[in-house]
Amino acid sequence: MLIEYFPILLFILIGIGFGFVPMIAGKLVGPSKPDPEKLSPYECGFEAFEDTRMKFDVRYYLVAILFILFDLEIAFLFPWAIVLEEIGMFGFVAMMIFLGILVVGFIYEWKKGALDWE
Amino acid sequence: MNFPLPDFFPASAEIFVLVMACVVLLADLFKSERQGWLPYLLTLATLAGALAIQVGTAGADTTLTFSGMFVDDRLSDVLKSCLYITVFAVVVYSRDYLMARGLERGEYYLLVLFATLGMQVMISANHFLTLYLGLELLSLAIYALVALDRESARSTEAAMKYFVLGALASGLLLYGMSMIYGATGTLEISAIARKLSDPATNMDVLRFGLVFLVAGLAFKIGVVPFHMWIPDVYHGAPTAITLLIGSAPKLAGFSMAIRLLVDGLPTLAVEWQQMLMMLAVLSIALGNVVAIAQTNVKRMLAYSTISHMGFMLLGLVSGVIELRASGDIQLSYAFGSAMFYTIAYVLMSAAAFGVLLLLTRAGVEAETLDDLKGLNRRSPWFAAVLMMVMFSMAGIPFFIGFFAKLAVLQAVVAAGYLYTAVFAVMLSLIGAFFYLRVVKLMYFDEPLDTAPLVASSEMRALLSVNALAIAVIGLMPQSLLTLCATALGQAMK
Amino acid sequence: MEALLQPVQALLGAAWVPVWTLVKIFAIILPLMGCVAYLTLAERKIIGWMQVRNGPNRVTFFGIKALGGLAQPIADGLKLLFKEIVLPSASSKTLFVLAPVLALAPSLAAWAVIPFSEGLVLADINAGLLYIMAITSMGVYGVIIAGWASNSKYAFLGSLRSAAQIVAYEIAMGFALVTVLMVSQSLNLSDIVRGQGEGMFANMGLGVLSWNWLPLFPMFIVYFIAGVAETNRSPFDVVEGESEIVAGHMIEYSGMAFALFFLAEYANMILIATLTSIMFLGGWLSPVGFLPDGFHWLAAKSAFCLFFFLWLRATFPRYRYDQIMRLGWKVFIPVTIVWLVFIGGWMMSPLSIWK
Repeated sequence: MLIEYFPILLFILIGIGFGFVPMIAGKLVGPSKPDPEKLSPYECGFEAFEDTRMKFDVRYYLVAILFILFDLEIAFLFPWAIVLEEIGMFGFVAMMIFLGILVVGFIYEWKKGALDWE
Repeated sequence: MNFPLPDFFPASAEIFVLVMACVVLLADLFKSERQGWLPYLLTLATLAGALAIQVGTAGADTTLTFSGMFVDDRLSDVLKSCLYITVFAVVVYSRDYLMARGLERGEYYLLVLFATLGMQVMISANHFLTLYLGLELLSLAIYALVALDRESARSTEAAMKYFVLGALASGLLLYGMSMIYGATGTLEISAIARKLSDPATNMDVLRFGLVFLVAGLAFKIGVVPFHMWIPDVYHGAPTAITLLIGSAPKLAGFSMAIRLLVDGLPTLAVEWQQMLMMLAVLSIALGNVVAIAQTNVKRMLAYSTISHMGFMLLGLVSGVIELRASGDIQLSYAFGSAMFYTIAYVLMSAAAFGVLLLLTRAGVEAETLDDLKGLNRRSPWFAAVLMMVMFSMAGIPFFIGFFAKLAVLQAVVAAGYLYTAVFAVMLSLIGAFFYLRVVKLMYFDEPLDTAPLVASSEMRALLSVNALAIAVIGLMPQSLLTLCATALGQAMK
Repeated sequence: MEALLQPVQALLGAAWVPVWTLVKIFAIILPLMGCVAYLTLAERKIIGWMQVRNGPNRVTFFGIKALGGLAQPIADGLKLLFKEIVLPSASSKTLFVLAPVLALAPSLAAWAVIPFSEGLVLADINAGLLYIMAITSMGVYGVIIAGWASNSKYAFLGSLRSAAQIVAYEIAMGFALVTVLMVSQSLNLSDIVRGQGEGMFANMGLGVLSWNWLPLFPMFIVYFIAGVAETNRSPFDVVEGESEIVAGHMIEYSGMAFALFFLAEYANMILIATLTSIMFLGGWLSPVGFLPDGFHWLAAKSAFCLFFFLWLRATFPRYRYDQIMRLGWKVFIPVTIVWLVFIGGWMMSPLSIWK
């Protein structure tokens, strides 16, 4: 059973390898003449000012939280979707109740402006 | 595959509250400017409706549903009915306070309803998962409520503390539950009780789990040494939220203790009663002594909560589980006394915080003892109300608090813990000092603030009814005590 | 074939399985890399034609004029290889190097479960779609880490935008996939394709009408557009919107490190196109009864989808960020939820076509 996953593991390792090989190759054959100006962060030619790790819009956090909620929701839908024909009407109605509650929450965040970026 | 449809009837009150919570949410979103009262009235209607459904569907039998995860018995009927009434009062008391501070938003009503739902689920839980689910629903709603005043550094700090410590407690509880699951192979409370007599069950793991379970429980009801959050949260939260935290959840906490310990682990009673005894004695001592040093009424009431919860635990300690097989009424009276104590405490606490809320107005908090000075001059009736509450909390006859203490102490003595009873009485006498100090301030000191009280008439009326209940039930406590005892007697069959 | 491999197998013994798997993996990755290279050329050529110009037409093999432009990707690759990889002094060095790898690896690893034809799949696992969902979600880490590690304001803003955008569209994508699961009742990608070959129209010889795209049409559209947004392609490319934040999270990258991000982007495009073909366009199945099924159909369908990617880029101006978020949250999610409920109801009704 688990042996079917062996090619996947190998593939992931090869994928990572495929990332490193060009980097190493580029490092080897490319020039390397660093100077302080070249290594400073790019800011359209100006000297970099302030710290980069700055405060940013709280809406990004909001999106992250909403994403977690909805993604969990989808993770919950996955097994349900696969066996929907077997669990029949009972499963359908149960999930519709769940979705209904979710939609109420969705309406709430919509009306509260959590989804607005204007 | 065919799934049998679960019996929804026993859970109809829960379903009603859930549906109405969604309705309140939507109503709040789509209401017009002039319909500010809509969520408030809908919330009250929900609680009244839930009470009607609960009473209407109450039966003498114990019904299990949702594959044995949910139980509807007399105990849950009584506790839930008290719950709805308490939350109803809480919402009425809180409205003016919240409006004056711009906190009266739909979210408040929503979170209160979700907290109520959480408590309902806890009270009716017959399964560790249901219990935990209810507990988390309650806790998460309350964390958010404590932080309702986002501008206030003190509230957010309190919410943060509560959240971190609450998460820790949930962790402890879950850890204990998983241990017990490991030992018994089931999460269903009645099945665990059956498994206990199985010689193959690993008792060591079970006891280990029990320690965590008791720690988590002690944390949630706030008894020493797991009480650290109580004063800070009571103090930091807006008073209206303190009122909620200080009242209804105690009912759910009591139910949790009954379901987990009495229903789930009856034959381990020797172990958990020892632990609870220790917690109870420490709480009564610490709560009563430290409260004396407080100048802030909310903190004072917080320590008083700790001591009251200690008293409640004494009732649980004094149930002699060995009598269970013989059907002796001592058992149900001992646990019944704890339940009676809880209900009495919830009544008193609601009234006490209600008066504090009554004294506030826009921009003015009533938190310190100084704020209570000369209340008699400003409003003789509400000074009398607070006096009744304080007398009752101190355990002065003939208020409900006295009979609550009496019932517990009788049970303690009957169980053979004479010295504990003497100790509890002595500390109650010490505690009486700070309750009576409030009365002294109200009647014999000059008021610092002479502004007239502003409060809606429905709040005044309900607060008066609340105070009268403290006095009237104090005159005839036997009926409520019997109700509690029979409810518990049935739950333990 | 079997007879040829037999002696090699005997020679390698226990090492046979990994070696043979490696051979198969390279048989997937190397052509894929070729596709990526020539997709960049195709993009420039096609957009060129759409804008009535020639596109790359000078670089050629061995001076043969007719092949003008065909060597362009190779020349580009070589040029990037010989460029310096700058490690900015303010950056977090390890993460900075790791980020492009993290961007590329998932877009390659996802190919492990793609069925190219009947039985022609590296790992025929039952959790195929789940694996795809999991591994493609990893791609966002590359972008976020790149933005963070660069320690540059443009990079930081770009990666924030990108992360928010990717997660927003991932939800719509997930819902679209759930409907596919509902009608195919399997997570195995081969089964999903086979399921599309059955039904009333397929029996009449009109397989094209029994594929998922027809009953799940809104989902097909949502999935594809979400795929465009997931890969940060135009018109959703605010992440690297050069007029606003220069090159977004890639701003501090140069040489091969920069090339890796490009490889990842194009590999992701091909992946999305292939997944769309598998899930909605019947994978390797032939659209009509009288033609044989086979890999060529999957290739043709993927090429068709890829063409759409390029077409979109040539046609639409860039969306504003708030418009992107609005489309993702306020249009796609409601649409997908409604269609999910609709499909569920359809499946429960006697009119269900998936029994």
